[in-house]
Amino acid sequence: MELVERYTKRARWFHWLIAAVFIELVISGMLIFIPWITSDTIGSVTRILHRVGAVILVGAPLLYAIFDWRGAWEFIREGLTWGKEDLEWLKAAPGYYFGGDPRMMPPQGYINTGMKLYRVAIFGGAVFFVITGFIMWFLKGIVPAAVFQWCLVLHDVTFIVAICMFFLHFQLGVFHPRMDESILSMYDGKVSGMYARSHHGKWYEKVAKNNNKEGSSST
Amino acid sequence: MVLLYNLVSTDKVRADSTHSTSDTDQKAMLVDVTKCIGCWWCYAACKNYNNLKETARPSPEDPPELSPDCWTTLFALPNGDGWSFRKQACMHCTEAACVEVCTAGALSYSPLGFVAYDPDKCIGCGYCGEHCPFGIPRLNGNSVTGLQKMQKCNFCEERVSAGLQPACAEACPTGAITFGNRDTLITEGKKRVGELKGEYPKAMLYGENELEGLHVLYVLQDSPEVYGLPENPQFPIAATINKDIIGPIARIAWPVVAAGLALNVVVAWFRQRRHGEVH
Repeated sequence: MELVERYTKRARWFHWLIAAVFIELVISGMLIFIPWITSDTIGSVTRILHRVGAVILVGAPLLYAIFDWRGAWEFIREGLTWGKEDLEWLKAAPGYYFGGDPRMMPPQGYINTGMKLYRVAIFGGAVFFVITGFIMWFLKGIVPAAVFQWCLVLHDVTFIVAICMFFLHFQLGVFHPRMDESILSMYDGKVSGMYARSHHGKWYEKVAKNNNKEGSSST
Repeated sequence: MVLLYNLVSTDKVRADSTHSTSDTDQKAMLVDVTKCIGCWWCYAACKNYNNLKETARPSPEDPPELSPDCWTTLFALPNGDGWSFRKQACMHCTEAACVEVCTAGALSYSPLGFVAYDPDKCIGCGYCGEHCPFGIPRLNGNSVTGLQKMQKCNFCEERVSAGLQPACAEACPTGAITFGNRDTLITEGKKRVGELKGEYPKAMLYGENELEGLHVLYVLQDSPEVYGLPENPQFPIAATINKDIIGPIARIAWPVVAAGLALNVVVAWFRQRRHGEVH
């Protein structure tokens, strides 16, 4: 069976690192709302864990960008490149994701419009988390109390949205019958040619052309 | 579900609510600034009783600020040739923002009206200090690691519960601080303000209705700002949002989104199976 590489090893490690840190931040952050768990000792520990998670959440993407600035730039560029086709995706998406005829969805590039939206959302969410978190961590007592109060509100609102986005990401990656190769591809980095053609037609065409070129030049 | 339920606990028992003791049992302190001579005995008695680190003898030129080791101090203002003073400490609000934002349950409403504090439960988040309309709570410890502990006046909870007065009130030699039933003190305070009105037209009783009623009342000679008090202290709106809006939104939004996504999977699965895409 023809296999196409979709995620590099570095990208996959990065994905799972961020996933782990996200879960860690969710748990250590939510524990503050549960008085019978946040006793003196555990409460302090969870607050340290939240800080450690925050440092990794900020540090990991920066390290990634240092090691592979081209990939990092491409990641941002793809998410911010929008065109007329995105409107067509939006029109076709409800039927497509509710199990309608897959042919109604126009061929997509390496990432589709939904993935672009997701990238924008998680990037924006991370920015909100990091700025409000930084102020609450390092500028408590320095900024006016009202600033702190609204950072807390924003941090919590962003959290509510982030959990919804996480549910969506998890559902599409793990449970959705149309994305049946998604979770595996984040494990071994590959999807079948058939999956690539049906889900990311434009990208598959490019990949196939390159492969042919390489194939013909090597003979 | 317990997790979601606990996201916002709006059921903190308010001192004035029917769950608790009646208004007549409410204790308070009345601070009459006209009687304060700035002897700092309240300050010293507080440190002594609560085992707080001692500092050099304070002066009105350089009054000590509230800190984890200083739960009550004097706000000093020049007055003619000398000074006027206003005792400064936790105001023990009836509608206390600190209690409402404390997720650890360290701050609570005492049945006697004041804001009780259990340092063993404090996790050092500092939300109380950032929401207090009077800026009273102070944190010790390391703000980078977050290993901190809040400190503030606890109304000498143990003493008051045992029928004694707070240490500061007991120590005051001039009667500037009196302790007693809140209703009685309000009546006394109003009487005193009436006496002062002739000479000081701006004289007033502060704390009767502020934040649904403070448990530290002041007889002031002048407007509150002169004594470093907010004219109209407000319960911060951000605290209301955190308490009454964000938690309920999460409790509704997350299950709804999760259910919608589950429904989507089921519908997609059946429809794809019908046209042979999944088996």
